[in-house]
Amino acid sequence: MAEISSRKKRFWLFSKSMHASEVRLAWLLILPTAIIVFGLVLFPAIFSVWISFHKIGLYNLNDVFHAPFIGFDNYKSVLSDFAFKWGGPKQWGAWVTTVFYSFISTFITLIGGLIAALLLNRPFRGRGLARSVFLFPYVAPVISVAFVWRWLLDPRPSGVLNHILISLGIIETQQAFLATRGLAIWLVILFQAWRYFPFAMLMILARLQAVDDTLYEAASVDGANTWQKFISITIPQIRYVLGAIFLLRLLWTFNKFDDIWLLTGGGYGTNVLPVLTFQFSFNMYDFGKGAATAMMMMAALIIFIIGYVLIIMRNSEEV
Amino acid sequence: MSAFPQQKQAQKGNFIDQLARSLSWEKFLFAVGIFFFLSMILFPFYWMVSSSFKSGVEIAGRAPVYIPSSLKWDAYRELFDPAWRSFQNFGLNIINSMLVAIPTALIAVILSIMGAYASARLRFKGREWILNGVLIVYLFPAVLLMIPLFAMLSQISQRFGFNVQDNLVILVLTYLAQTLPVALYMLTNYFRTIPDEIEQAALIDGCSRFEVIWRVTIPLAIPALVTIGIYTFMIAWNEFLYAFIFLNDRNTFTIPIKINTIFNDPSPRPHVVMAASTIMTIPIIVLFLAFEKYLSQGLTSGSVKG
Repeated sequence: MAEISSRKKRFWLFSKSMHASEVRLAWLLILPTAIIVFGLVLFPAIFSVWISFHKIGLYNLNDVFHAPFIGFDNYKSVLSDFAFKWGGPKQWGAWVTTVFYSFISTFITLIGGLIAALLLNRPFRGRGLARSVFLFPYVAPVISVAFVWRWLLDPRPSGVLNHILISLGIIETQQAFLATRGLAIWLVILFQAWRYFPFAMLMILARLQAVDDTLYEAASVDGANTWQKFISITIPQIRYVLGAIFLLRLLWTFNKFDDIWLLTGGGYGTNVLPVLTFQFSFNMYDFGKGAATAMMMMAALIIFIIGYVLIIMRNSEEV
Repeated sequence: MSAFPQQKQAQKGNFIDQLARSLSWEKFLFAVGIFFFLSMILFPFYWMVSSSFKSGVEIAGRAPVYIPSSLKWDAYRELFDPAWRSFQNFGLNIINSMLVAIPTALIAVILSIMGAYASARLRFKGREWILNGVLIVYLFPAVLLMIPLFAMLSQISQRFGFNVQDNLVILVLTYLAQTLPVALYMLTNYFRTIPDEIEQAALIDGCSRFEVIWRVTIPLAIPALVTIGIYTFMIAWNEFLYAFIFLNDRNTFTIPIKINTIFNDPSPRPHVVMAASTIMTIPIIVLFLAFEKYLSQGLTSGSVKG
């Protein structure tokens, strides 16, 4: 009897204070993460809005909070900057380059991923191994693969692409491919597709494997060939995952700094907004201008996401 | 005896017949496709490894050396041998990278266990708010954050008198800030798939919350924890931008910054760059192959930003 009552008592104690102590415990557990994320992501994000309206250089970096307020001057200065604005077909400017590069490379990445996923969706010996190998470009460190590409495209006679093209008689003398305006941006796009197609591939493959086989069987009975099956079964089935990957990859490509910086340093018509942000802040030490560029990137992204969600999501509800 | 070769020939004929019958445009295209992808992917990796075993003469030759005749250790000796002319002391950079990547991975796992347990199991106000806020962090690119972080940290360092530049701890913190939200999100989802009843039973048996987490929740979540640990390790190991901004002193360089420095050296030595890249890539590829099953799942759940 005594045992039961003591147990009851304990249970009662437990349940009464449970909620309060649970809340306390929860906040205690989540506090370190919250502090780190707030202090090093959310606060800096808000702070960068503030920076974009102030004049901050290396000279007053130690006394940021007393930096002079200059309104929209940083934004005006970015918008009229030679490197940012459209200057005709020979001088695209960073924002046109960024939009062109992000859309085209996302598109090619998606196509590459789709083809790879279709290949790997067929059973064959060594499929598991092939799938792992297909993921190598995505998991390998960006700096090593970017420098391998630069070494493959090297203008010296020992550069592989130069050697191949000269042996085939396509070019006469060695070319500095990554330092050729017009060509460099396409090489950067190709590099992006090479490096990021595995991400698209994995997502598409996961969706493909969930497609109901009976759909294909029914189509075969109706006499559909492979192409017809692809167009009228596979594509509709994976439409949404394609849309989602397109959005994700576009966002990440839009913000990507490392790849272009390491391949071309933003030169030869490959200057994109992230690289420009870096140059304004860490080469010219105009942090206000850099922050203004970053804010414009953010604004463009937010507008794009809202538009995308409004259009795509609405359509998906109708269908 | 004489029947034997005939039989063999018949078999061979059979084989060719079979091959001819099974060959179709579809299969041909498929084989070409697989071959195309494999060679496009593997050739750069082959080129990285094979270039690292070439001598300076082969590298600067009149044509690329596709298959090195012998393994030359020049590049590796430049990286590790103090007696070499332009010794790079690469061992130090490997240690620096480990000093950043291993603590980042361990702390990310510990903090995300705590946070995810709270948001999956405990009821408190603001829980959904935190989980949604975590996803918003997805939106903030590193490029956006580098300026305010740089300004903020130099301000803090001014006030409290420590060095922000050349401080590996700062790098660990910034990497944690980038990876924790996603780790938290992944692990919360994983914890929600573990039936609550097991933990309730342990609680009623008189275990404290921490005993429950330690003895029940963590052992059940090992696969997710491994995934998070390896991801954060990979991200910290590969990261370039923040390290590039925050590290100025040679002695604190992580591997990517060191490779960048060697690459931009006035006398170009691609074989050394490739050797350093090989050393940097191999642990990542090995980790990836060893834990591929978990990692692919994580990839498809969209957990890695990149």
